[in-house]
Amino acid sequence: MQQTEIETAFAELVKNITGTQPARIDRDLHLDKLGLDSLSKIDLAVAAEDRFGIAIPDEDLERFVLVGDLLDYVHRTTA
Amino acid sequence: MAKTFRIAIVGGGIGGLTLAVALRQRGMEADVYEQAQELAEIGAAVALSANSTRELRRLGMGDALATVSTEPGELIYRNWRDGSRIAAHPVRENMNYQQICGAPYYGIHRADLQRILSGALGGAGLHLDHRLTEIRDLGGAAGLSFANGRTIEADLVVGADGVRSVVRRFITGGDDTVYSGTSAFRGIVPVAKLPALPDPGAIQFWMGPDAHLLHYAIGGNADYVNFFAVVEYPKVWPHAEKWLDSIEPGEAAAAFAGWHPAVVEMVAQHLPVRWGLFGTRPLLNWYRGAVVILGDAAHAMLPHHGQGANTTIEDAITLAELLPGTALDGLGPMLAKYQSLRRARTRKIQRSSWITNSLLHLPDGPQLAERDQRVTRFPEDFGWIHQFDALQTVHDATQTQRHPAPPHA
Repeated sequence: MQQTEIETAFAELVKNITGTQPARIDRDLHLDKLGLDSLSKIDLAVAAEDRFGIAIPDEDLERFVLVGDLLDYVHRTTA
Repeated sequence: MAKTFRIAIVGGGIGGLTLAVALRQRGMEADVYEQAQELAEIGAAVALSANSTRELRRLGMGDALATVSTEPGELIYRNWRDGSRIAAHPVRENMNYQQICGAPYYGIHRADLQRILSGALGGAGLHLDHRLTEIRDLGGAAGLSFANGRTIEADLVVGADGVRSVVRRFITGGDDTVYSGTSAFRGIVPVAKLPALPDPGAIQFWMGPDAHLLHYAIGGNADYVNFFAVVEYPKVWPHAEKWLDSIEPGEAAAAFAGWHPAVVEMVAQHLPVRWGLFGTRPLLNWYRGAVVILGDAAHAMLPHHGQGANTTIEDAITLAELLPGTALDGLGPMLAKYQSLRRARTRKIQRSSWITNSLLHLPDGPQLAERDQRVTRFPEDFGWIHQFDALQTVHDATQTQRHPAPPHA
């Protein structure tokens, strides 16, 4: 999957969960700053798995700090 | 149509039996294949929360369950050493939990739950001494071979065969079991042998550095306490195929030395084994052809939300409600629906249980204040788990009420 395609899909997922469409996806933004509590963070991970057709092991999920970490992971595993 | 649907359920545990009973309630028969020579649940006790007791009531088991269960008075979080109450939430008191969640919370011996479920099934269609060895894709059906030499064919195979599921291996092609790095000592103790225990009728978490102990009362008279004590080792599980490891006498007691006397009394019991705590990797596919999984086989989780058995019952009800009216050639879409209704929810609980582990095991220090704040918010934080209505969720998703509203809804 292309990076831009992933970013567009990711923005849509964030919108579905927080109700707010991010103006743009900032790769350097901390995942904690997306306006998600710990539960909706799980919602986002599960939604990303479904959307991108991947399964993210918990130990990998814990290593994601920035939005870009998650996007790169999706890019790598869908390549 | 329903008569021609051959359904084989692999595993006669809580999930397999619940599915068979729920299918019969809907006019469908299934065959349950259990590897054991007799039904004998291991694992002591189980806590049933409203998300499953509401379904078991709908299956007509409400009275039978109430007779052999204990409703905890309160949910209490305590400090590991001095036993001080960090947070407490009424459960049975003022019917608080039932008011919020719509059904009761029960502590019950697994053997009692299994007896009620198998009693409802009545022995018909239950095949003991059937250990599954192979599944063959027959294109539109599946063939099963058992260790006793028998082979059968089915139009739908449901793997309710636990964390080390043989059926899952057929679906994913690998072993998706993951050891958590944590293990547990567990036991059932008469309340009379626990003089230091405050509030023996409550469900209580004792939280300490790198360990916690959870207990709740079970039985119709609340005279036994089931406890579950979790530690952060061994880092590597020593067995490939077993999740029980024999331990030396006194090993559990040594792990909780210095804890509150009530905890010390519990782990001082004869505890011959350690339970490795395993999960499954998040799976993308819960079905392949005519073969599908439920319960621990699909989403084994750490027990810290007490949701393994409860989500298994939700799975079984969901599948049972989707099956009637499905044509043989409509199996794929039905199984896709089942997965879409179940995967995100169980994944979320799986993940949340994992996070809860570290929350329960914090060392003494500055993080404790935040943790203690969080456990005071239990109803807000965990209502989504307990208030869930599996049957209603299927109805909402299918928009068709194929069956009359259940009497205990």
